[in-house]
Amino acid sequence: MRAHHSRSPLIASFLVTIAFTGASFAAAAAPVSEAVDRAITAKAATAKQPLAGPASDAEFLRRAWLDFGGTIPTAEEARKYFADKDAGKRAKLIDQLIASPRFAERMGEAFHIQLMERNGNSLEWRSYLTESFRANKPWDQMAREIISPDFKDEKLRGAGYFITRRLEKVGQQDTDYPGLTRDTGRLFMGVDLQCCQCHKHLTVSDYKQADFSGLFMAFQNAKLQKPGGDYRTDWVAEGMVAKKYEFVSVLSSAKGATGPRVPLGKEVEIPTLAKEEQWIVPPDTKGKKAGIPRFSPLKEIAERLASPENPFFARNIANRIWFHLMGRGLVEPLDLMHSENPASHPELFDLLAQEMTAHKFDVKWLLRELALTQAYQRGSVIPPGAKDPPEDVFSVAKERPLSAEQLARAFLVATGEHERVAEGKGWEGIEGTKYSQKEFEKAFTAAFANEAREPELAVNPTLRSALFLRNNELVLWSLQRRTGNLIDRVAAMSDPAQIADEIYTAILTRPPTEDEKSDVAKYLTKHAADCEKALGHYAWAMLSSIEFFANH
Amino acid sequence: MNSPLCKPWEHAFSRRQFLGASAGALALGAFGGLASSRAAEAMRKKEKQVLFVWLDGGISQLESWDPKPNTQFGGPFRAIPTSVPGVHFSELMPKSAKQMHRLCVVRSLCTKDNAHSSGVARIQRGDPKTRGVPYPFFGSAISKLMGPTASKLPAYVWIKPGSGGFKAEDAGFLGPKYGSVAFGDGKPPDDLLRHASLTTEADEERNELREMLNKRYAEQRRRNYTEASSYVFDTAQELMKRADIFDTTKMPAKELDRYGRTEIGQHMLVARNMLEAGVRFVKVNSYGWDTHGDNFNGHASLVPKFDRAFAAIVEDLAASGLLENTLVVAMSEFGRTPRINGHVGRDHWPEAWSLAMAGCGVKAGAVVGATNEKGTFVKDEGYDIGSVFHTWFNALGIDSQRVEYDNHGQPLPIAHDDMKPIKEALV
Repeated sequence: MRAHHSRSPLIASFLVTIAFTGASFAAAAAPVSEAVDRAITAKAATAKQPLAGPASDAEFLRRAWLDFGGTIPTAEEARKYFADKDAGKRAKLIDQLIASPRFAERMGEAFHIQLMERNGNSLEWRSYLTESFRANKPWDQMAREIISPDFKDEKLRGAGYFITRRLEKVGQQDTDYPGLTRDTGRLFMGVDLQCCQCHKHLTVSDYKQADFSGLFMAFQNAKLQKPGGDYRTDWVAEGMVAKKYEFVSVLSSAKGATGPRVPLGKEVEIPTLAKEEQWIVPPDTKGKKAGIPRFSPLKEIAERLASPENPFFARNIANRIWFHLMGRGLVEPLDLMHSENPASHPELFDLLAQEMTAHKFDVKWLLRELALTQAYQRGSVIPPGAKDPPEDVFSVAKERPLSAEQLARAFLVATGEHERVAEGKGWEGIEGTKYSQKEFEKAFTAAFANEAREPELAVNPTLRSALFLRNNELVLWSLQRRTGNLIDRVAAMSDPAQIADEIYTAILTRPPTEDEKSDVAKYLTKHAADCEKALGHYAWAMLSSIEFFANH
Repeated sequence: MNSPLCKPWEHAFSRRQFLGASAGALALGAFGGLASSRAAEAMRKKEKQVLFVWLDGGISQLESWDPKPNTQFGGPFRAIPTSVPGVHFSELMPKSAKQMHRLCVVRSLCTKDNAHSSGVARIQRGDPKTRGVPYPFFGSAISKLMGPTASKLPAYVWIKPGSGGFKAEDAGFLGPKYGSVAFGDGKPPDDLLRHASLTTEADEERNELREMLNKRYAEQRRRNYTEASSYVFDTAQELMKRADIFDTTKMPAKELDRYGRTEIGQHMLVARNMLEAGVRFVKVNSYGWDTHGDNFNGHASLVPKFDRAFAAIVEDLAASGLLENTLVVAMSEFGRTPRINGHVGRDHWPEAWSLAMAGCGVKAGAVVGATNEKGTFVKDEGYDIGSVFHTWFNALGIDSQRVEYDNHGQPLPIAHDDMKPIKEALV
């Protein structure tokens, strides 16, 4: 990144740029989306990489639906979009999707997957996230609510799951304070301090043992409590911190000590309090009730971490939102930001972080701004003349995996079973609970989600998922003819071209090519004896294909 | 596969898929039909494989590989001669005794942990120096270092009592791609068997259709995902095709009798079939060896079941020629105390215990090290599990003092950096 990336000078220069950009933003008001495309185009030209053409309407429609609505459109919705002649229909679609109630659910889900990394789920946590996105709560506020949770507030206590879940004991392992420390650095600041638990980082000179220790001591001071009294959920009680945390490097045996500290930031001074001032509510040792200390390291950390003054906070969220829509961060890995790991587009990256700060960490704003770029709306087909285009040039749209939840929903929409399974319509007294939305999501999650604590960043076909698609009862059930479902609709058609159009539009959100139409016709002729079953197999092949599994 | 470490496909694809080495170049159609033809196929390839038998809880060395009859702590069982003159086993192991000329028994293990909770993982990870990241278990290590064989079957299969499925925990920092496919109670994971509504023909046809769609889609796009996806679908297909290898209901009664109609007997028979079919690493677990109380009746019941199954598989692997390229290991997380406690049991004893090996790269008919007269401590040099890991890697042709893992740029030794292979155990 930048040579000026050492601590305090960086913050100073950062504040200067904010002030500067704030002014120029107001004056020039060039949309960020244009700046994005200028930067991407310039780098592609330098790298001599031809830019892919714009995504087709079909590819764009599917991509935008998946990203902002969490599922694919029905064939009917797709056809309506294809028929729309309005030149501004892409921007219109983005705005419609963002305005839909699905948007908050989709963002809540995406942030849940990102922040919990498949390590547990909780209704209150999910509803906290969804409602926060529904209210378009600024990201810095959310981060503070997550890092220093208000466990007594009915609407906010769900945020505490990020911490409480990570402090649950697993087997005979120690409470995983190091894991919580590491995840907080990774997910809120884009810095993975794991190595600094025991010594300074061996390959990243910016990361020091004090950076880990300062965050670690704040978390280690918090003890997991069971629900009771005013608390309806698991919660954490902080203890009294009166002195610094001491640590020793296992490599050099060098000793150090730190108070609470935001990684790569300044240490928080521990106040010297008279005995009677130490507690807002003193602990009740007889009743075994935790107290509330006047000095709360978590609060101090939360306020300093999720702040315009912490440059890593803005960079991290800008990078992660970019990743969310483009499939690759401007800085990679997402959690290894440091001075010797520059962004692929350094000026653009700085600009996004600055603008994100100037817009008070408005996630929806940045999502919309990026969705309007040519970069987001680019095709995934490699342009002629380009060979193995490097991902960090963003000259071709990157294919991204659908999450297990997106897959489950898209699968139900594609097979025409969504209304029956999700909304309970059209059962006609047949099998019920076995084929519920919940069962589908559970099964798809088991088959496609990563293992707990594995970030979901790339498409990872597994043996488990292949077996699931091949033999699972829910998958094959959806492909049997049933009133109103996809197979039922196409089985009632006699024109192979019409059949091809329906299954391609329903499953892959695009019309078939002439070749594909003739493939379908040939296949149906070959299997004229049992057309219904053959159609199920054809649909299965499409549903198991990469094209369906990738957000392209 | 020349280099055990660097395979071109690892550079081309993302993590966590099961991927095959030079799979495309092999005629997979050659498989099918008889187990013996599959064995021959694997033989011809000369691919190295591993059978790892884990006796969870701690088999007593005194009631198995290192008897001390008529001594203070020797217990009630006699020692019997083996097929190698001068070497004796406990009388509870008559069948394995007849295989001693194929085995290599190490009697001088001296390890560090006497708790199950930490010891199981510690031993199966080779107890390297602390590096702040969890090391892979042996099976995941081999899965990473050697990959699947040309058979396209999963590299690491775990046959165990209890639950099955896809178990990532053994893989440690290598990531779930190197975890195991577990056959719980010998049964396959969910969705492995072809759905009742599908015929083989229909299944294959729809899969060809899928491949065609993928090919068309991939023509104009980055290569990343298509091959990885094809690979897992192919692996799924290979496993589905070979439902016979884990279906104990279809196995000849004679074989079942020879392996023993016990849990470990059936699981060992499945393991043999898996090895013959070409699975790179098969782990078989047997539980219940933690005999703090009533050790002698416990071992009188457990050991013969193990003995029968273990001797049968060693014999079969030798007969099919697979043993030459298959490293066989049988061990626990520690041995048991020579001292007999107040409940006529033996407790945990990492100070002096034994394991048995056979096959690929290890010295047949050898006994390495010895314990003192009462069996309380190791005479001369004791070996920690780090040395044992070096030994296994070297037996499989992996230079464990040079080959390293790459943990996101951090080079990590594959076995304890201060230890060395046990030379006397290697050919």
